[in-house]
Amino acid sequence: MIEVISKETGNKEMVINMGPQHPSTHGVLRLELVLDGEIITKVRPNIGYLHRCFEKYAEQMDDYAKVIPYTDRMDYVSAINQEHGYVIALERMLELEVPERVEYIRVIMAELQRIASHLLGIGAFGLDLGAFSPFLYLFTEREKILDIFERVTGARLLYNYFAVAGLMRDVHPKFKADTAEFVRTFRPKIKELNDLLSYNKIFIQRTANIGVLPEKVAFNYAASGPVLRGSGVKWDLRKNDPYSIYDRFEFDIPVGTGEVGTLGDCWDRYIVRVKEMEQSLRIIEQALDGMPDEGDVMEAIPKRIRPKEGEIYVRTETPRGELGYYIVSDKSASPFRVKARAPSFVHLSVLPAISKGSLIADMVAIVGSIDIVLGEVDR
Amino acid sequence: MLNAVKQSWLTFRSIFTGMGVTIRHFFGPSVTLQYPEEKMELPAGARARLYVNIDDCIGCNLCARACPVNCIDIETVLATQDVDLGKTSTGNPKRFWLTRFDIDMAKCMYCDLCVYPCPTNCIYMVPEYEYSEFDRSNLVYHFSNLEPEMVAEVKEKAEQEAEQKKREREEMMRKKAEEKAKKELEEKKKADEETPKNEKENRGE
Repeated sequence: MIEVISKETGNKEMVINMGPQHPSTHGVLRLELVLDGEIITKVRPNIGYLHRCFEKYAEQMDDYAKVIPYTDRMDYVSAINQEHGYVIALERMLELEVPERVEYIRVIMAELQRIASHLLGIGAFGLDLGAFSPFLYLFTEREKILDIFERVTGARLLYNYFAVAGLMRDVHPKFKADTAEFVRTFRPKIKELNDLLSYNKIFIQRTANIGVLPEKVAFNYAASGPVLRGSGVKWDLRKNDPYSIYDRFEFDIPVGTGEVGTLGDCWDRYIVRVKEMEQSLRIIEQALDGMPDEGDVMEAIPKRIRPKEGEIYVRTETPRGELGYYIVSDKSASPFRVKARAPSFVHLSVLPAISKGSLIADMVAIVGSIDIVLGEVDR
Repeated sequence: MLNAVKQSWLTFRSIFTGMGVTIRHFFGPSVTLQYPEEKMELPAGARARLYVNIDDCIGCNLCARACPVNCIDIETVLATQDVDLGKTSTGNPKRFWLTRFDIDMAKCMYCDLCVYPCPTNCIYMVPEYEYSEFDRSNLVYHFSNLEPEMVAEVKEKAEQEAEQKKREREEMMRKKAEEKAKKELEEKKKADEETPKNEKENRGE
């Protein structure tokens, strides 16, 4: 492949590889960069280094429930959100009623996970651009979320917590108090982050007007989540196509405004994530107020999962964007086909479009700002 | 010119605001733990290692079937009639010798799916996480408490009993078959005795 490119490019240009072991490629991503001096003329992402046959495995698992731990491993940074989409798909296929308490706990967990994922995304983005302290401070906060998760689910990264029409175990009695305490202590930290990183002049210089993704291009590439919202499009599946009980909560959709540079640049995508954390806190607060104290979270879990013949597509809003599950059932014990529409994969395809003409040093900022997780790209 | 001064001022201000944050953190409490000396306490439900209370296991194989990665390997032998294995602490009668109950922790994905189907709650996760090994085969945990000689003896006994049962069943089948054959023969004889008469009658003699 390298030879082909170099033939195309002639003598003036140079091809270099970035990754797969480069620390700022967020996993094992290899980028073939065609350079004219220091200007990037072409980018070709090479993926597949983390391919684990998730979709094929799901077909021979002979149980729908056994697929849930595998969905965790797709996007290991936001495992709860990955499970959420899958169990919702199965619940819609089986036409099951989900208990009220389960829905509230799910929403709280999903929003906590969203904050945790954004903290990692923002922290790593800053780290790529040379800001080391924010990364450490954000990880301290993320650790608190992981502690909450560990006390509830027993695991710190790959939870396998959601079951079809239920949860694997009930929350502990102090869960509400713990979460409320976290929400209270986390609010001031967002302001601290803005002081330290968001409005830091050096950071703005590195991110504003770089990797501009215009609205039209974002639509053409089917971008979603913070990448699309960073381009100024008000689109959030929690509002536009509500699933679970998100229609009961009040929250805003933060969009990029081009505050310090052009609309749709790296900084806009970054600030959308920061603002989204505040909205997640609002949702958690409302959910904590509305959560019923009584109720068995395991009573509605079906013993055998055998959906009727048919197919379903369910999309949910994960921290990275629209995650869709397309499941085909042939009445047997295992799914006939599971297809995951991973937002990271889609966003990676935007990369060549937005990085043309930028400097090689800015490539790091662009890759960081679209916040991909390679586990989800390759599945 | 004015703009340049303004920009420089903004830059300085943003940098010093950031510095203020780091200095506040510098005098704040430390959050790191010096791991081998200090340890974080794991919560009660933490999933770190699988444990099997083998005295309570009835050998139903449900956990092995629930495992997505097939890390549980169970071999059971039906107990002979002369032994009583007793009951589990939950009151379920035990009918099988557990000649093998291996869990390969190198394969385990800590999903907890094996814990829920267990009828006697004898397989569960324990918060114990320091069990790394130099050899991968050491990560296979053997939970069966039977000695190899005992396993052989139990297997032999079970085989003998199975053979005996098979023989008994065969004998019974043979007896049944014999009786059936006898009956059929008698019926045939009767029928034979009757038919000639009828035939004679039919011929009108």
